[in-house]
Amino acid sequence: MITLTINGKEITLDKPITVLEAARQSGIKIPTLCAHEVLKPYGGCRLCVVEVERMPRLQTACTLMAADGMEVRTESETISEVRRGILEFLLINHPLDCPYCDKAGECELQDLVNKYGPTVGRHKEEKRKVAESHKDQIFSRNMERCVSCTRCVRMCSDMQGASAISMIARGTHTRMEPFTADSFNCEYCGNCLSVCPVGAILSRLSLHSYRPWQVDKEVETICSYCGVGCTLVVQVRDDAIKRVIPKMGAGINNGMLCSRGRFGYEYIGSEERLRVPLVRKNGKLEQSTWSEALGLIAEKLTEIRNTNGGKAIAGIASPRCSNEDNYVFQKFMRMTCKTNNIDSVSRTGFAAAQKYFEDLLGQGITGNLIDGLKHSETILVLGGDPTAVNPILGLAIREAARDGANIIVLGNAKGLEKFKTVQVVPPVFNEAVVLEEVLTEVFKAKGVRGERPFVDKELKLLSKRTSGKVDIEGYEELKKALLETESLSIVLGMDMVQRTDGHRTLFAVAALTYLLEARLYTLSERANEQGLIDAGCVPDMLPGGRPINISDFKVKFETVWKGTIPDEDGLTLLEIIEGTRNKDIKALYVMGENPVFNIPDGSSVKEALGNLDFMVVQDIFLTETGEMADVVLPALGWTERIGTYTNLERRIQLQKKAVESSSGMEDWRILSELSNKMEYKMKYMQAEDVMHEMAKVSPLYSELTYSEIAEGECLWPYHGEPLRGEINEVPEMLDVAGDYRADFYLALEKPLFHSGSLSRRSQALMKIYPEASLKVGAASAEKLGLTDGDKVQISTSAGSLDTSVIIEDSIKDNRVYMSNNFAGSGVFNLMKFNVDKVTKAPGIEGCEVTIKKL
Amino acid sequence: MFNETVISEINEIRGKYPDRRSALLPSLYIAQREFGWLSHEAMTCVAKTLNLPEADVRGTASFYSMFKNAPVGRHVIQICTNVSCMILGAEKLVDIVGAKYGVTSGGTSEDGRFSLVIMECIGACGTAPAMLVDTDFYENLTETNILEILDKYK
Repeated sequence: MITLTINGKEITLDKPITVLEAARQSGIKIPTLCAHEVLKPYGGCRLCVVEVERMPRLQTACTLMAADGMEVRTESETISEVRRGILEFLLINHPLDCPYCDKAGECELQDLVNKYGPTVGRHKEEKRKVAESHKDQIFSRNMERCVSCTRCVRMCSDMQGASAISMIARGTHTRMEPFTADSFNCEYCGNCLSVCPVGAILSRLSLHSYRPWQVDKEVETICSYCGVGCTLVVQVRDDAIKRVIPKMGAGINNGMLCSRGRFGYEYIGSEERLRVPLVRKNGKLEQSTWSEALGLIAEKLTEIRNTNGGKAIAGIASPRCSNEDNYVFQKFMRMTCKTNNIDSVSRTGFAAAQKYFEDLLGQGITGNLIDGLKHSETILVLGGDPTAVNPILGLAIREAARDGANIIVLGNAKGLEKFKTVQVVPPVFNEAVVLEEVLTEVFKAKGVRGERPFVDKELKLLSKRTSGKVDIEGYEELKKALLETESLSIVLGMDMVQRTDGHRTLFAVAALTYLLEARLYTLSERANEQGLIDAGCVPDMLPGGRPINISDFKVKFETVWKGTIPDEDGLTLLEIIEGTRNKDIKALYVMGENPVFNIPDGSSVKEALGNLDFMVVQDIFLTETGEMADVVLPALGWTERIGTYTNLERRIQLQKKAVESSSGMEDWRILSELSNKMEYKMKYMQAEDVMHEMAKVSPLYSELTYSEIAEGECLWPYHGEPLRGEINEVPEMLDVAGDYRADFYLALEKPLFHSGSLSRRSQALMKIYPEASLKVGAASAEKLGLTDGDKVQISTSAGSLDTSVIIEDSIKDNRVYMSNNFAGSGVFNLMKFNVDKVTKAPGIEGCEVTIKKL
Repeated sequence: MFNETVISEINEIRGKYPDRRSALLPSLYIAQREFGWLSHEAMTCVAKTLNLPEADVRGTASFYSMFKNAPVGRHVIQICTNVSCMILGAEKLVDIVGAKYGVTSGGTSEDGRFSLVIMECIGACGTAPAMLVDTDFYENLTETNILEILDKYK
């Protein structure tokens, strides 16, 4: 115990911290320019000087460790004089262009000068002149205003791990610059913006468009993009989002944001938003009214249900929509339309993996906190780049690496290039084989764990199949790390699930988790992939993960829902698409999803959906799927309505409303109005009513309320009753090994700057990453004689398209990557697939591609 | 990119330190030797060889005045003009060299032979005036011997 007094106030500390930190904890403010609560102490600006009894000179509070018996004063005439002196020096060169500077009103230097002076400067020399740089699309850089506190540089290297900027030159010439001196060309997280105390780095998205004191309101909410669910603050003026800023010390992200979260908000105010319902008349979508549109849907769905039965109807839910939306969606499909044919695009990855893991290891196996990654001794990363798919989770891995953790990367992961300790690059599509080999070694060393006999049994069988011979660089290190580690985390990306042998990878990962008692994390590109499963938007489970085929569960739901739920499991996503192709399914209801674009082999999906008698799409934009629909309904998006989201840690968080939308309705409201027209009554007045019902009926959400969720610590398993795994045999392991000898294989790139098709309506993200391009490894580029910017035509068995080349050193194998985010150049359109018979996810391996230079 | 010899030279330096960051300064000297000055390309090569962030390399390179951030002539003349050298006529020497080779302080002669830098004290006050040509040190300079010395550098 350390007891010290600051300004006469006695403070007791349970661990040694700096005087600055101790003062902050007890609510005493000490001014700082270089110190920042999320950064390490630096001791540069000297503004935090304090008087300490029995110490001869003033001390910097940011670097002085609190000691027992210390008596500290943070304000006195001497201290003020020193601070005034420091500020006077800073103002020698600071331009005092406050009336023009966007930072005025929230500028730390302005506030300090206001408090301590000086009112007049004694220096008569010319101020240094540095032209403001607008050479970057996102950041404006004004180095006259810079006070060289280096917060931005330390944020970029120590916290973000991007190291994209540095202090250049010295003395009065010192300034912050990115490597190129003009464009930042970085991860565009903008975390440098959040720590700059002055107006030296500003966002061009909101430059000169408002003053901080003109903000109408600030709403603390959750990000809409990925499955991490970062806390952020939306600043609103005139009913439009002006800026998104982080909140230090809050949420999973603790003040850090990524490019999508910070700069990707513009889609909400996009001109292209759907405003009114559209109804197809004479083959063309025409503007209509809510009553006409809903009337038509009710009539058509009732007709198809009554003539062909509920099985002829299917629904595709959305991992972008809230738990409430998805809950009402599945209830509408099950109770109103009488079908269990409910699935989502999550089946192509997250939902498939999740089901496999939970079947084997029990519900909640992936309910691990992101913070836990930071304390892992070894982290195994496979199936994608976590720093691009879930950037804030990626930061936790980087932090662990800085603390000395072993980071093992299987395959390519650009964002971990400078952080990995071992990289294993198996021959393409042989990842499962390598994993099974290392799994066998681990099984041999650790022996039978015994808790889940059917897994142990499968491991015994597996050890007879594996050869024990692997000759790949890094494999021995991988084996050693797994055998020796005391604390393992596994981070699984969905690239490894999208294979016909995806289930074998999943088994290997599950078994490693089981044998080594690892923490398992599944990357989730969209905000509510977990929530939609828990809400029951899966063909085989009711809300809370209760299997439909267990009648005890079903009866309980039927009692509350007052009706009957169809008995049989429904179809999974790709089965639904096949169902539309062979006309078993006549009507499709799509909520917030774009299957034509977001499922591999898009043109064949489009062809299948063309066979439908009736299709409804509700969305915030007119998507490729919407263009084919008979009725399109405008929904509300992020910040326009309230709702809960479940992140990949299974934390439930509340997304709040910040702006008023003039048109559109919440997804759940559209569905309940429709249901009422179809004579199954839903009486929700607000989103909270839906949660109230979920808390009553779903064993997982039992007794949950918005006020509890809003506290941010609503963690698995809530007050719920998780189920154990319901299977007692590992699903059959299929031998689907192919021979992959083609020169190049096409793979899906998941860019840091884009997600689905929302981000293409955010101008800032489009400026950073304007179009799809083909990412090629250095070796492949050499083989093809390609250089950066070359135009190429790429062709697969599904089609071809023209694009340009970017060489990416982090790609170590003969895969070439392209994104699926841009209209007209979605790579999924070039990918044929086979289905993994176990997980029902599409297997897009072996997509041979030829690349022709134009 | 650097050739194999240079890469192995840098790797050898890297092996001397526990932290690859420590090998940065000597590696930058090698890059300057190879490229003549520290262009973006030169700094990228160093960053790749040492697996350090490019921005960090540039930050370090721009801090030190003996790293060149612009192209220079084949030979760099650095003349000291601090007190002792100044008293013993260093400024005159600067003029002579400038007139003979057509080079001004901070500039490069048209034929690209010499660049001239006015440098701060090099600790040769007892034998002033003094200068460095590339990495060679010369002292007790006179108006005649300075031209003889420079004549050796083609």
